Amino acid sequence: MSTALWLAVVASALGTLLMRVVPFLWMQRRLNSESGLNNMPQWLGILGPLMIAAVLGVSIVPVNPSVVSWIATAIGLAVTLLVWSRTRSLGWPVAAGVAGFGMVEIAALAW
Amino acid sequence: MSQLSHQAPWRCALQGVREAIPLLGGYIPVALSFGVVATQAGFSTWEATAISALVYAGASQFLFVGMIATGAPLWLVVAMTLLINVRHVVYGPNLAALLPRSRHWPWLMHGLTDQVFALALTRLPQLPEATRFSWFVGASLLAWGAWIVGTTVGATAGETLTARWPLLGEIMPFALPALFLTMVAPRFTDKRWAVAMGCTILAALCLNLVGWSNVAIPLAAACGALCFYTVTFETRRRTS
Repeated sequence: MSTALWLAVVASALGTLLMRVVPFLWMQRRLNSESGLNNMPQWLGILGPLMIAAVLGVSIVPVNPSVVSWIATAIGLAVTLLVWSRTRSLGWPVAAGVAGFGMVEIAALAW
Repeated sequence: MSQLSHQAPWRCALQGVREAIPLLGGYIPVALSFGVVATQAGFSTWEATAISALVYAGASQFLFVGMIATGAPLWLVVAMTLLINVRHVVYGPNLAALLPRSRHWPWLMHGLTDQVFALALTRLPQLPEATRFSWFVGASLLAWGAWIVGTTVGATAGETLTARWPLLGEIMPFALPALFLTMVAPRFTDKRWAVAMGCTILAALCLNLVGWSNVAIPLAAACGALCFYTVTFETRRRTS
């Protein structure tokens, strides 16, 4: 890789890091300040959980979309939700969901 | 709670590592793919690994190597990479109140990806304050390490692996939607949140399907926020 290309990598890395660090430190300073701005803006608190929902929406689309993979996705999500409603944990529902999704994919391939 | 808060830092870090394991189901296949794509674009294994270690942002890395391969001007490559990563700006402020002050944040925040943010925002409020720093270190370092190792493996043997186990790359990524579903599910007990969340998920899904995956997250979240405020407005009008 040429020097110019390395510089492009470093610039992209540094810019991305700054976008992650600066707002975090700015908010921490604001929360601890004596200027009375001790609360996080309400819109920001709402945007956080919605960003997770958006990441969910993006990740729902199967790697290779097809009728089988969409059915597997629906079954996998249903299994995840079912196990979550019983355990209220993170690990088991994910394992069960992946197993459900995988079984449908493998069954479809074998059939 | 008090017992937990007095745990050794490495124990809390291990808890973070354990809880971040489901993320690997999504990270490893994508990192493998990036390794393959980067080598096909003319990058060496070492260069692909360095890009993953330094930039550490999935979608923008694919765009970076893709644009370089087509001979795009470097300033445009950097500008587009940063534009895709702009969504990270809202992640830090959401975690600011949940994490203690530390001089290590300037480099630790490098690990704040979409998935680590989602996991941290869900788990940190449930953990004792004294354990949160170590938990974040454990969770984010595991994810970063897996991303780097996945890229190296992908660049050296990615094509062989995917040819031998073609279903691996299709099944493992399902860990991500399953994990995110368990994170958003508790919010569905509240009607207002349920509508906003449902709207966001649907918008992100549709935007991704029409090929707008790079802007799907911020746009869908904005749709959900709009929905959140609109539902309140309509409820007030009905009751008055």
